Amino acid sequence: MQNRRMLEKCPVLLQYFIIINLAFLAIDVFIAHSINAFSHSAEWIPFVVSIAASPLLLVTHFCGGLRANRLAGLGVGWVCVVVGVGGLLFHLDSQFFVDFTIRSLVYTAPFIAPLSFAGIGLLLIMRHTVDEESLEWGRWVLVIACAGFLGNFILSVCDHAQNGFFDWREWIPVCTSAMAVSFLMTAIARPTNASFLTLCVLILALNALTGVVGFYLHLSANLTAPAPSFKENFLYGAPILAPLLFPNLALLGIIGIMGVFRRI
Amino acid sequence: MTFRAIFISVAVGTALIVVAFLFNAKRPAHDTEQPKAEFVRATGKCAACHRRETAAVVHQFERSRHAKKGVNCLDCHQALEGQEQQIHNGFTIAKGLTAKNCSQCHTTEYNQFVKSRHAAPAWAAVRGMQDFTAEQVQFAETYHEGAVNRPANQLAQKEGQSAIDVGCLGCHDIGKPNADGSIGTCTHCHARHTTSVALAREPETCGQCHMGPDHSQIEIFHESKHGVLYNAQKREMNLGADPKQLSTADMSVPTCSTCHLSGLEGLKVTHDTSERLSYWLFAPVSKKRPTYHQAQGAMKETCLKCHAKTHVEKIYQEAEGVVQATNAKIAEAKALMTQLRQEGLLTPDPFDEPIEFIYFDLWHYYGRTAKHGAFMGGADFVQWHGNYELLLKATEMNHIAAELRERHAKP
Repeated sequence: MQNRRMLEKCPVLLQYFIIINLAFLAIDVFIAHSINAFSHSAEWIPFVVSIAASPLLLVTHFCGGLRANRLAGLGVGWVCVVVGVGGLLFHLDSQFFVDFTIRSLVYTAPFIAPLSFAGIGLLLIMRHTVDEESLEWGRWVLVIACAGFLGNFILSVCDHAQNGFFDWREWIPVCTSAMAVSFLMTAIARPTNASFLTLCVLILALNALTGVVGFYLHLSANLTAPAPSFKENFLYGAPILAPLLFPNLALLGIIGIMGVFRRI
Repeated sequence: MTFRAIFISVAVGTALIVVAFLFNAKRPAHDTEQPKAEFVRATGKCAACHRRETAAVVHQFERSRHAKKGVNCLDCHQALEGQEQQIHNGFTIAKGLTAKNCSQCHTTEYNQFVKSRHAAPAWAAVRGMQDFTAEQVQFAETYHEGAVNRPANQLAQKEGQSAIDVGCLGCHDIGKPNADGSIGTCTHCHARHTTSVALAREPETCGQCHMGPDHSQIEIFHESKHGVLYNAQKREMNLGADPKQLSTADMSVPTCSTCHLSGLEGLKVTHDTSERLSYWLFAPVSKKRPTYHQAQGAMKETCLKCHAKTHVEKIYQEAEGVVQATNAKIAEAKALMTQLRQEGLLTPDPFDEPIEFIYFDLWHYYGRTAKHGAFMGGADFVQWHGNYELLLKATEMNHIAAELRERHAKP
């Protein structure tokens, strides 16, 4: 009974997940675009959107009525989708599309990264358009979590390829995210298999652990980096927040599995 | 839990991992097989930013032989022992590059260069020995006696610091002593990101400094048959040929580097610009260098790749004749200056009287021009820009000397 009550909380958990993610995106975008010194004025757009959206969603969630909450959710959702797709187009305008080499793909602006906005936006739109009591709700969350892990897989490959996978441990997130993608894909296709969903939770937990270990490794690499300035090391060193995408997406996957679980 | 669900998941996941492995394996070996992760990043990260800022250097580098050989930015820009470090967007690089960075790979070339007059003597010609260590002075003096163990240039001192910094050292810093203990820079001839052999073979590259009345080699070259043929046939030549494979098929007409440095048709390549020079032509009165026979032999060997021995001997005989004649004219003018000083008609300070400038022009401009013209096939420079001016300046000096003596003789 208690477990059932816990499972019913997953729509609220998703709302907190979205708000916290938007807040973190502000920090992440600020760090990423600081490397460029915000050289293009459009680089401020995702920062402003994420810094404004999370308080707005928080306020409407606690103080606004159902209608205000829905309006804010859908509005922010669509803005996030536009920002994500727009960001993708801006990032695509890079050397890779001039010479089409693996090297330029590795060192180009991370064109997958802006899609995190689109993912958050789609989650918001889904939350206000799909019946949260339905099995479909949980499956959509799983679809977005799976897409997120696919993005994480591509980012892990490209980011670590910049180092030439110099440390063998850089392959770990590649392997775990690949498994997360494949298991979640199967879970989306066959959502009624409870024991398989439990196995998916284990795979997601493994990814969360990978992220925590990755965060520690990135942090320690930056703390021992040669620049005298702490800021310089963190801006140009290993991307400190990137590994946290793993526990983050693992959490989203678990919310999705909870959403599915309560309906089977 | 069904076996099929697990099997499909593991199969898809494994396929993704294999794709990632294949993606990484497809990268060029010189991108990934590096001593440190920092060097791998430098294969692409530097260009990713520099395409937005200073994009030209990226394009220059991409066209260079260095790029084709898999050299990356950090190979050259890494800070070596004795070099000031700079943290630059996550990379530790040298604040400024010197010949030491090039010598990591091009040790032989650097060792040849450092013996040449392009090295310490070039800098000392302006600044004297003050910037060199005792060992550097001793080393340079072994090859160029009196060229480094000397005071700063008196004329440059009179002209002032800005003239020295922007003018003199613009060329003479090719032999600048660097804080890392090395001497000079290779980029004067090879450029920075282009790092080009072809560029160093272009006469205009030498002509950046070897021009003007004091050493008008580029003007003489363009007047000579060598220069005329080069300008006519430049497009048919392969200036970028491998130095060790360079043949007369690549360069059927010589440029400065062909005669002075190149290993044409199997000859020894050198970066010692003095190695094939038999006279101190730059001096007021030109003496034979200690390596006269060896140097002349090496130069003649190059000449013989295109000319018959009789022709080469004739050229040398005639040129040495011009050297002797010019020496005699300059020695006469020099003696006049010494006499005037002894007679108390000139102050001991340099460059404070008109006749001192005339004497300086006489040997420094016209004497050198006549001698260089003779060795380089520049008839007009032997005659009108050389001997005619020598005669004119000698006459002017004699007149001034006569006037000075007359004025001094009057009570």
